[in-house]
Amino acid sequence: VGAAGTVRAPYGLGRRSRRSELAVLAAVAVARLRIMSRYPGVLAFNVVLPLVIASMPILLGRSIAGDRTAENFALNTGTPEYVAYMLLGANVYMVITNSLWFVGNWMRREQQTGTLEALYLAPTGRVWLLAGVALAGAGRSVLTALLAFVIGCLIYGVNPLQGNVLLALAFLAMGLPPMFGLSLAYGAAVLRFKEAQALINAAQWVIGFLMGLYFPVAVFPPLLRAIALAFPPTWTNNGVRAAILGVGYFFESWYADLAMLGVFAVLAPLVGYRIFAAVERALKRDEGIGEF
Amino acid sequence: MATGSPARLSPYGLGRPRPGARARLEALAAMVRKQLLIMTRYPVEFVTSFVTMAIVLAMFTLATGTFLPPEGLSQAAGSSAAGVVAYGFVLFLFLGDSLWFMSGGLRREQVEGTLEAHYLTPASPLADLLARVLTALLLWDGLLAIVSVAFLGLMLGGLPLVDAGAGLVILIFGFSAIIGIGLVFAAFTLVAKESAEQAASFVQFALLVLCAMFFPFSALPQPVLAVSRLIPLSYTVDLFRSTLIGHAPELAPAALEWWIVVAFGLLMPPVGGWLYRLAERRARERGSLGEY
Repeated sequence: VGAAGTVRAPYGLGRRSRRSELAVLAAVAVARLRIMSRYPGVLAFNVVLPLVIASMPILLGRSIAGDRTAENFALNTGTPEYVAYMLLGANVYMVITNSLWFVGNWMRREQQTGTLEALYLAPTGRVWLLAGVALAGAGRSVLTALLAFVIGCLIYGVNPLQGNVLLALAFLAMGLPPMFGLSLAYGAAVLRFKEAQALINAAQWVIGFLMGLYFPVAVFPPLLRAIALAFPPTWTNNGVRAAILGVGYFFESWYADLAMLGVFAVLAPLVGYRIFAAVERALKRDEGIGEF
Repeated sequence: MATGSPARLSPYGLGRPRPGARARLEALAAMVRKQLLIMTRYPVEFVTSFVTMAIVLAMFTLATGTFLPPEGLSQAAGSSAAGVVAYGFVLFLFLGDSLWFMSGGLRREQVEGTLEAHYLTPASPLADLLARVLTALLLWDGLLAIVSVAFLGLMLGGLPLVDAGAGLVILIFGFSAIIGIGLVFAAFTLVAKESAEQAASFVQFALLVLCAMFFPFSALPQPVLAVSRLIPLSYTVDLFRSTLIGHAPELAPAALEWWIVVAFGLLMPPVGGWLYRLAERRARERGSLGEY
């Protein structure tokens, strides 16, 4: 009865259904979170890192501009709150890069340890495995980013509860699905190029540059600005900053900017999945996916 | 009696129980050649490192611009602020890659399961680590450093360069110290295993702030500055930068900083090597060399 029951279960691993796929997603996410919880030092590092990233321009700016730091900054960005501006940018950046990093690193690790092909033999869609990894990564990134922002505000003497915090969180949440799409494309790059560490490093800085980690994208020349605006993290970052610091939305209103992120939230995962599936198919035809 | 093939009689072969200095140097040269060969197999990695460098520098230049009056970055041309960022970046490059290539390389062999096999050969494990870092630092980072200084000079319309000869001597001692720091981290990797990479990142970014690589020491708050004064690498950064920019050092008189820089450069490699051998012996005794 037991064996028959297992075989006939409506969402057993042998039969793929939406419910079984969601169960795979949840199982992978829980497993990843459990592994992460074994390394509290890594968690502490993820809290400290955005503080370091934000501190570099803050200290550089203070040393350059002296008493006129806030005044000059306001003339260039629309807010004198340069500390909060940099802290928000650094924390949004960490959420975004971690979402990518988790998927890319996970795929590379599975390749290196020789378990990727074994995972491909499991009777489930790869996208659900990747979604589980991305979900765990995003959850932890958001948590550490919030913690890092509050700690940074306390260190630099800035009020962490200024502006519209709920709206900022809404922008952050709406920015996560597009990141899943990008992380799928990123996973495809790892599969395709294998030794992708430098690619991952480069992509991280490209993201920071395009999203305006340290500056408003308005400083870019028109072509580069257009590229930056086609990049979802730019909207997430600006939305969070506009909600907290009032630096202005791209479409002059929060709901229009949030709606734009909503469009990205639908399109980016679809495009990312297409790219991933195409690369995966090509690799299966050629050398196979286990090579590294 | 037959003495076997001439190869067995080689006076400096690695097969001898106590290979001489010549054999060690030949082994090191062979390992450097191997690393160079591996480097040529990953052209994407080589190219993306230059792209990353350009993006990082562009990002910091634009970040600097947000703290300047709206007339812009033309003010920064040839200024000490530009020199602070450019020359700090050079040392940051060497430090980061020293940590990553030694600690990361070791970790990679652990993960791929080749470390124990590698240690069964009669070649020195230390030579392998040195080969990694020499290839990376001398060739790759050397090239990156030259290109990054030239790139930043072009972007900002010139960099101060007062005493290049003395700067080179300081860089050589700094380079030696950084190799020693890398060896200490390689030893730590054998002990910490999975946490080593994150710890290396943490140390890299902590030193970035504590050694004020992207801003003057005067920008640091007093308690942090007190910690900076305890780190010998801070004096290397300070002396290197002030020599090239033509300013007096910030932390101590130049004569004292020279003593610290030379002593640190001479002491760190043997200290790092000793710690590494200690960690390796303990790992062999416990049978944990290949554990990860």
